[in-house]
Amino acid sequence: MTVHSSYDVIVIGAGISGSFLAEEMALSGRRTLVLEAGSAFTRTNYPRQEIDSNSRLYWGGGVELNTSATLGLLRPKVVGGGSIVNQALVDRFDKSALDSWKSNSGINYFNTDDMAPWYEKAEGGLTINEIPAEWRNGNAKIFAEGFKANGYTCAPLQRAQKDCRFADGNDCIECLSGCRIDSKQSMPVTTLRRAMKAGCQLISDFEVKKLKTSNDMSTVGGMWNGREYSFTAKKIIMAGGAIGNSRLLLNSDFGKKLPALGKNFYTHPQFMVLGLYDKEINAHKGPLQSYKSYDPNFRLKGFKLENVFAPPVAISMLIPSFGRQHQSKMKSITQMACIEVAIRDTNPGRITVNNDGKSIVSKELNHTDEQRKKAGMDAIHAIFSSTGAREIIPGDFGIGLHLMGGCNLGVDVNKSVTAPDFTLHGHPNITVADSSVFPDAPGINPSLTIMALSKMAGAQLIKEGR
Amino acid sequence: MRHDFSPLSLKGLSKAGDIVLPGGEGFPRFSETEFIKHFGRIAYYMNQDDREGFKLLTAMMGVMPSFIVRFILWMATMNHLFPGPLGAVLRQINMGVRGVLFTMYYSGVDGPGKRVLKQLNYNTCINTPYTEDTEMETLLTQNNPLNSPMMFQNSHENPGPTEAAAIFDKARSTYPAIAALTVKERLGFITKLRETILHRQEEIVDVVQKETHKARTDVLISELFPLFEHLEFLEHEAEKALRPEKIATPTSMMGKSSNVWFEPLGTILVISPWNYPFYQAIVPITCSFITGNATVYKPSELTPLKGLVESILIDAGMKPEWVQIVYGDGKSGVELINQRPQKIFFTGSVGTGKKIMGQAAQYLIPVELELGGKDPMLAFEDVNIDRAVKGAVWGAFTNTGQSCTSIERLYVQESIYEKFKQGLVEETKKIKIGVDKDGSADMGGMISERQIKIVAELVKDAVSQGAVMLTGKDWDFQSRFIPPIILEGTNHKMRINQEEIFGPVLPLMKFKDEAHAIQLANDSTFGLSASVWTHDKERALRVASKIVTGNISINNVMLSEGNHALPFGGVKDSGIGRYKGVHGLRSFCNMKSVLADSDSKKIEANWYPYTPLKYTLFTGLTQALFSMGLKKWVGLVRFGLPLESHAQKAKRD
Repeated sequence: MTVHSSYDVIVIGAGISGSFLAEEMALSGRRTLVLEAGSAFTRTNYPRQEIDSNSRLYWGGGVELNTSATLGLLRPKVVGGGSIVNQALVDRFDKSALDSWKSNSGINYFNTDDMAPWYEKAEGGLTINEIPAEWRNGNAKIFAEGFKANGYTCAPLQRAQKDCRFADGNDCIECLSGCRIDSKQSMPVTTLRRAMKAGCQLISDFEVKKLKTSNDMSTVGGMWNGREYSFTAKKIIMAGGAIGNSRLLLNSDFGKKLPALGKNFYTHPQFMVLGLYDKEINAHKGPLQSYKSYDPNFRLKGFKLENVFAPPVAISMLIPSFGRQHQSKMKSITQMACIEVAIRDTNPGRITVNNDGKSIVSKELNHTDEQRKKAGMDAIHAIFSSTGAREIIPGDFGIGLHLMGGCNLGVDVNKSVTAPDFTLHGHPNITVADSSVFPDAPGINPSLTIMALSKMAGAQLIKEGR
Repeated sequence: MRHDFSPLSLKGLSKAGDIVLPGGEGFPRFSETEFIKHFGRIAYYMNQDDREGFKLLTAMMGVMPSFIVRFILWMATMNHLFPGPLGAVLRQINMGVRGVLFTMYYSGVDGPGKRVLKQLNYNTCINTPYTEDTEMETLLTQNNPLNSPMMFQNSHENPGPTEAAAIFDKARSTYPAIAALTVKERLGFITKLRETILHRQEEIVDVVQKETHKARTDVLISELFPLFEHLEFLEHEAEKALRPEKIATPTSMMGKSSNVWFEPLGTILVISPWNYPFYQAIVPITCSFITGNATVYKPSELTPLKGLVESILIDAGMKPEWVQIVYGDGKSGVELINQRPQKIFFTGSVGTGKKIMGQAAQYLIPVELELGGKDPMLAFEDVNIDRAVKGAVWGAFTNTGQSCTSIERLYVQESIYEKFKQGLVEETKKIKIGVDKDGSADMGGMISERQIKIVAELVKDAVSQGAVMLTGKDWDFQSRFIPPIILEGTNHKMRINQEEIFGPVLPLMKFKDEAHAIQLANDSTFGLSASVWTHDKERALRVASKIVTGNISINNVMLSEGNHALPFGGVKDSGIGRYKGVHGLRSFCNMKSVLADSDSKKIEANWYPYTPLKYTLFTGLTQALFSMGLKKWVGLVRFGLPLESHAQKAKRD
């Protein structure tokens, strides 16, 4: 394997953290290369049918399972990462989340005051809006009505979107496989584009297989178009997500010196529940998500509810069983409302690799997590019942799409992987600031905090470089 | 996307499909429709071990009776009753089988999938118009260091004399290794190449479409489909075509054997045009390679497809130095010709062809020139007008008219002229223009800015002399998306009927009778191809034989080049030589004539010394040998035998 080129910085993964850091690095004049395993799309060529969006935007052809096959893990594999397939919900962490991180990691900057400037910086590069009230769809209305009827509190969602132009009749559900009008503030529209305009290089469809590091130079090797390539750089930024980072480090023998590597893995297990109504809900029309629960009681109980929906393949997977009955349920897809409970999981999972270097994810709910799930399910039942649902169908399986941890931040070398300055313990030339550094499950959408941490890590790298 | 699941696995999957998705209430049954055809779109992206497991499971389902498959699927839904690993396996089956089937069924795949979504009353859209994100697309290409040709050992950009020399040194030093391979061994790479292209088909269409602005279907049907035909032709015929050919040996050389060997020439320089950048890359490259040559390939600077051809050849297992790719404009071409390749294979314009031949003449490099055309179509009064109209419209406008064999002159017999014209205008107006992603556009944009100007100039010139635009009047004479233009009232004095248009413009003219049609068709400096349309088979052959052209299609258009076993090439200004087919393949060869005698004591009669007796006997033998009948054989005995015997002992005094 010959070395093809040398850089100041190589970023592994073009998701949210990778793009934010690439921008910082490129703008500071560093010769930067981003390597991304997924493909690059632009608004004209995002996959249009679920069959392709599942297979071409996610690892494993759509979904990967934990060892007990109780959770479907949705792990984006595309330039832009989660920002391509998410609904761009951006929330700051509250005191509860930051306090927990502080006590878990022993890091003092996890408090609302110290984090505020970084959140501001992260928000500064994006356009953030609420869905205008007049466009809220049938699904959102049921959510709001049900909350009101049961005395719960909900709030409109903050979304990183510019202008979804609902007046044109656009349906946001389409944007789950990439926003075609570039309203969603995905990385290729925002940070990554700015990075590339500043000269940052990007190779998509490049899966990094090995990482080797010495005092002043690291080597990254992988495959592109059936050929092996390797690149060297002074600094490596790992932004392959919880599973991607853990897997690469484990496959590159970092496990021996970093005993916590791959541990402390959280997913905010989510369970979607369908409510069947006699009337047309048309949850797939207009803005896909408008509300989140904003109930202190829910937060205390460790769950949140979200107003969501999914396209037909995903809905068909949620409805249990098969055959005529299943198809006849599917026929009511436009009369379905959907609410999901996401729990703030307390039982850490673990990422390991098998002999072929493939990631294996063990992740289960403990008693507390089950209680949190049940509390959320009860609330959803109450909401659907109070709004006249004729049938309530709990989804057939759980979903993990906030994949966090594995390289957790902390001061203790034995209990954490990443040091407070975002470098791996004992490896000052490797920086990590994506969701893999989360010390535990915050119970709040992670993307804005990933951005804030990346901004912090970027500043750290630039300060050091002077 | 292709997959490698066995027919048994697919049968198992279909069986499960009918259980999971039995249809009814307006839904189709899974196996009634063609959902399974879309399986490759999932299978290709599965994790390796998931895919292997799934293959095994579905193959088992393939042999099981339906009720057992149903039982397994039912057990899988009951997974929560089973703790531990069994529960996990059941959940995997539940997710895997249902997931794959639901994905094919509920994704809205073209045809049956759209019907399913309609049945669900599920319909989503983005109505805000959106345009191409050219900024990001450019960044994605430019900022990818692996797209830079310098990353490939076999690519070069704008070489100067030193680099050009190094390229040919490399070609010459690699040539013996290619020549040493048998044709069968070379065909192994061709097969792998065909598979690679099949596998990467969509990606190739994307790249070509991006550089050419073509309609997607144009890329598929005129770059990829014929390319596969060509590769298949090589796979079937190349061995036979390149095998030594036994040739008759004359009586005077009795006892000896004559053969033609088709040997490589050495290094071949291929210079390709921009109108079919992928097809015109792979076809000449493979012709050169299969005949055992080292190739230096220069694509047009307008459509370099940077990195694509290299990576495809490498995927096919070919060594980088076997085919070196040189990016650059005419200057690069000049540098490469200065390196004296053994042959130049050029496709492009007459002007450039003349320059290349001029330069090649200095070194006596043989050239193969595939140049432009001004193809006439002759429609006689007895033709099926509807069909001929449709043929004319496609033949004139496919690839936005940027094809050397596009119809550039349409002659219709007077008696059917008005009816033909009406049909032509109607059909032309239906053409949908765009750079589509789904195959819905008929015609794309122009590739070359320079060519847009030429088209504008020729049309304006014709209109200024009284020609009328029956369609396409809304063109601003600038936009890349030229609407298809039918021109009436042109004549042969106008430039539009003399020069190659290479755009979507079709001059429509009348002819009186057969003689007039032939005279008009032949009134051109070009002679690439032509088409004759008539119900009368005899007339078709008669007219075809009188048209001065390299290729001709009867009652069809651009069809002769569709058969890759037929040679292709032009006469007059349309070029020199032939490629494709057995004849074309051999033009990449040194046709070495081999006459073999055995080592013996025998002294040939025609060797020294010459003697008066030899002269007398030779005279008799010549008279006899080149006569007919018995005299020949009697003479052979009478003069031949004594001559042979004399030759063995004749001595110079």
